[in-house]
Amino acid sequence: MIKKSTFLLIITFLLAVYYLVLGVYFNKLGYYNAEALFYIEKSKIVFEGLGNRLKVMGLTAPIIPFYSTFLFTFINYLLAPVIASAIGTAILFYLIAATLLKDVKDNFYLALLLIFFVFHPGMLYAATAGKSLYLVLAFFYMFFLNILKFYRSNTTYHVSLASICLVTLTFCDYRFIWLTLFFIPLILSITLKSLNLSEKESIFRLFLSFNSPSLRRKLISKTFALYIIIFILPIASIVCYKLLNLTHANDLNYFIESPYATWNVLADKINFDEVTNSTTYKMPDSAVLLSLKMIMYAPLILLALYMYRQNTYQVLTLLTPFAFIEFLRLKYDKIYIAHEFYLIFIILALLCIIFKLESYKNKKTLRILMGIGMAIQIFTGYYFLNRSPISDEQKFMIMLRKPVENHDQDESKDIADYINALPDNSLIMADDAIAYPVAAFVDNIQKLVMPYQDKFLTAIETPRGYVSYILVASPSNRVKGYTQLNNTYFNFMRTNDSGMLVQKVYETPDWELYRIK
Amino acid sequence: MITSVAELLITDGFITPAERESIEKLSAKLGQAFIKVALNFGYISRKNYERSLINAGYPLNQIREEEYDKDILSKIELKLANDHVALPLRVQDGKLITLMADPTDQLFIDFVRFTYDLEPEIIIASDLDITWMSHRLLGEKYVKSAVFELMHRDPANSARVTFTSKQLIFLFVLLGVICVGLVLNFKNTSITINVILSFFFLIAISFKLFLALVGSRFELHQAVTNQEVRDVVTDDLPVYTIHLPVYKEDKLIKKLIWNLQSIDYPREQLDIKLLIEEDDDKTLNAVRNLDFPATFEVIVVPFHMPKTKPKACNYGLHFSRGTFLTIYDAEDIPDTDQLKKVVALFNKMPDNFICVQCSLNYFNRNENFLTRMFTLEYSYWFDYMLPGLDTLDIPIPLGGTSNHFKMENLVELGAWDPFNVTEDADLGVRAYAKGYKIAVVNSTTYEEANNEPINWIRQRSRWIKGYMQTYLVHMRDPIALYRKIGLKGFLGFSFFIGATPITFLVYPLLLIIFLNYILFDLSTIRTLFPDWVLFMSIFNLMVGNILMIYVNMMAVFKRRFYELILFAVANPIYWMLHSIAAYKGLYQLIVNPFYWEKTNHGLSKMSSPVNVVK
Repeated sequence: MIKKSTFLLIITFLLAVYYLVLGVYFNKLGYYNAEALFYIEKSKIVFEGLGNRLKVMGLTAPIIPFYSTFLFTFINYLLAPVIASAIGTAILFYLIAATLLKDVKDNFYLALLLIFFVFHPGMLYAATAGKSLYLVLAFFYMFFLNILKFYRSNTTYHVSLASICLVTLTFCDYRFIWLTLFFIPLILSITLKSLNLSEKESIFRLFLSFNSPSLRRKLISKTFALYIIIFILPIASIVCYKLLNLTHANDLNYFIESPYATWNVLADKINFDEVTNSTTYKMPDSAVLLSLKMIMYAPLILLALYMYRQNTYQVLTLLTPFAFIEFLRLKYDKIYIAHEFYLIFIILALLCIIFKLESYKNKKTLRILMGIGMAIQIFTGYYFLNRSPISDEQKFMIMLRKPVENHDQDESKDIADYINALPDNSLIMADDAIAYPVAAFVDNIQKLVMPYQDKFLTAIETPRGYVSYILVASPSNRVKGYTQLNNTYFNFMRTNDSGMLVQKVYETPDWELYRIK
Repeated sequence: MITSVAELLITDGFITPAERESIEKLSAKLGQAFIKVALNFGYISRKNYERSLINAGYPLNQIREEEYDKDILSKIELKLANDHVALPLRVQDGKLITLMADPTDQLFIDFVRFTYDLEPEIIIASDLDITWMSHRLLGEKYVKSAVFELMHRDPANSARVTFTSKQLIFLFVLLGVICVGLVLNFKNTSITINVILSFFFLIAISFKLFLALVGSRFELHQAVTNQEVRDVVTDDLPVYTIHLPVYKEDKLIKKLIWNLQSIDYPREQLDIKLLIEEDDDKTLNAVRNLDFPATFEVIVVPFHMPKTKPKACNYGLHFSRGTFLTIYDAEDIPDTDQLKKVVALFNKMPDNFICVQCSLNYFNRNENFLTRMFTLEYSYWFDYMLPGLDTLDIPIPLGGTSNHFKMENLVELGAWDPFNVTEDADLGVRAYAKGYKIAVVNSTTYEEANNEPINWIRQRSRWIKGYMQTYLVHMRDPIALYRKIGLKGFLGFSFFIGATPITFLVYPLLLIIFLNYILFDLSTIRTLFPDWVLFMSIFNLMVGNILMIYVNMMAVFKRRFYELILFAVANPIYWMLHSIAAYKGLYQLIVNPFYWEKTNHGLSKMSSPVNVVK
């Protein structure tokens, strides 16, 4: 008889293998996304580059997913993000399954969970795309798991762990820092419950507390203390990280605003421009409708809400991400809500249901509801991902539906191949704000002179004498406006330095490689 | 001539016949004089006793300047003199001049006649003065044992030698390597030192956070429940010794008695020793002037260097008779059920648990900034970190008071090291090294938080010096220590006891680099340290401070001191005080290692209510 934990480890291992096979297969077919390419390029700089590597290492964001790809660069730079996400997602499965098996004896739910992880397109996207999604989901899960455990144990231990998980979550996606705003009612409710009052109804307890000076003081100080203990770490960490950005990049928001530090500054902007300019124009998400979309995407959240209908904390906990998502829509109005924000609802719903499973009386109905809910969820997963306005997600779905060779990165590979064929002592000036996909495919990153190096500034003023080639964004490159190394600059440089002779040695629709004679 | 002091006291109405019977019973059981029991078990106040004697025409004499004969003294044991509050001094006019607190103590008079073959010439004196004389004249053997016992029995664990030759060689070689490094390559050596120190700082603090987290998991755990305390059978309770080492604590004596009287434990099963130094007339007079009964026995500790609390406790140990023993400071307010809780815990723990540490906290937490910070510190230390150490089975550095021992094991360990100024922390490690365990119990003793910065620094410098001493003592042979306490214990000991003083010493250095870099933008710093080094050291300093602030914030939850949470933010400032104390402690470790920095108590203006457990 295999022990439960061994059994779980075997399933996790098999799931990791499944994800790896799928991820490597997609990768070999040519599927890449901006985020994975960005990590590959930055990893190459950190391990093989020459220049201010510390800045790249310390200020590349999101930092935790970036570091997690480090672990696998020794296998293969190009596969490292995929391997990280495959293994990471399998670990996420392990975490959820371990919570499930702790209290629940019915293997039906484990099978259901496994089906979800094997077939849900969102989970496949998390596991095989090489994006940070798996870490976001894992830490989001851990954060709420500890919050729920706190409701049971009432110990600082779980609050502190939740706080640490929120720190890591914030460093996986900065936007989660805003989650802190929506916990105030929840924490007030927790404090209110903890007061020693004869009145049972929350609203009357609140009324009583506000009308008695000592209770009011107690209520406020405890609410504040609880709020602080959960959120001080993430907030302080972000402040410190911003200060480090200020001291090392002269910009507090370097890690979220500079295309050299994070991949999504350009990717989101381009994506939004593309979608809003294209013929198939897609409306940005509107208020309330977005929440409804989330419910449609993760109908199990309704089941969770029903199961906790008599528990104020848990209901408020379940509602918190709705407020958060609505806030994101307002705050980042020119960005479409990425799939990770859809998936967090499923994760939260699963967590809450797992927590309540054993104490729920009508087991049979619950099994049926869970089965139906999961089936709907997998279906809606395909439905929503298919219609995603985000190009990376669309491309993934195309690959998932029909795994055929993908040529999106062929251009970058062509340029990189040409650079790879150049002699080792050739120096090519490139701006990785937009050329990071090219750099990711270059074998020897030391051939490239890029902005992380001090000599880039000199080279960009007078390329002659410093570099032998310049990689310039062609006029047809849709991101040419985000780099200095475009035709406008190139022409200006040629006029400025009449002695500089250049020859175009390689050209693709988006790139032009010039040799300086 | 009076027939007996007991009758005199009954006649004067100071005791009842029933009380007389109880005293006599106890006196017979303990082998102590009637008057000693009457005075030390709260039956009668010293003032009333004096009144009775004066009324009967026996005024108390001043005896401190009385001459004595060493040959006469050599024939009496201190314990006998102490038990009977009587002391033969010299032969004069064919009679033996004998000091007695109870001139009717026939047992002692017979002893004199039998031993010296002389009739006694009794000088009636205060029991305190006779105790003072007895210990001063006869206590040498005991005080020598208190000072040198551990040193002779287990020299490897005695802090008598601060630095061993090997340690000095290691330190000087290290210093030499650093100096040579600085001369040969100043920049790289500075970079190496900076990186090592800043990483050490972060790791040491992360370890503290880890411990606090582990401890926080069990914050609601009750080692002993209220029901278990209620189930304790009073008649089965063993004798419990309480040591109260004091020095110039005259202002606190009344408070002390009040706190002792609140302890829920049978009076006759308590063996409370007030340990007063020979030169501490202030405290002795405060006891003398008490106009209500006291429940402790005064033990005068004869003068001997080093004048430390552990020496006093070791001395007191010779006269203690409890199965269990604990130490309280004069200002301590233990939970009223603390002793019963400890007995209940000892009864249900395996035999190798020889000590129970209670939590310490402060009753005057809201007095000023310092007391608030101190409360936060004690809260995370005792409520989170010690349970963390306990859970992970890492040596627990015992707190200064409220550690309860099994007496026989304490004696077996060699008791406290009088040369170590944090003898409690040292004892904790020694216990672990011998395979014993220490438990943490859910009972609190409230103390007075230091509310005055200079006084605080004095106290803290002693603690930090003591940690350095303890670390040096146990790291004389690191391999042997590792074998005794295992890897986990070794790492825990190094990070908890060894790293604490080093962290405080390193902190200002990192802070100077940080301030020079961030605020003053000093170019020399940038020339000396490349960006990556500055990045790392600033990162480590910032993260370290945040984590420490966080640990302080966690501290408020168990005791619901929510109003203190924002003060946790001031921890970096509070740590500056620690650093000052650490440098003071380091200086003293080198020039005056055994010097006991006295902490002044009784400075608080806040009331200290008894901590009655309902």
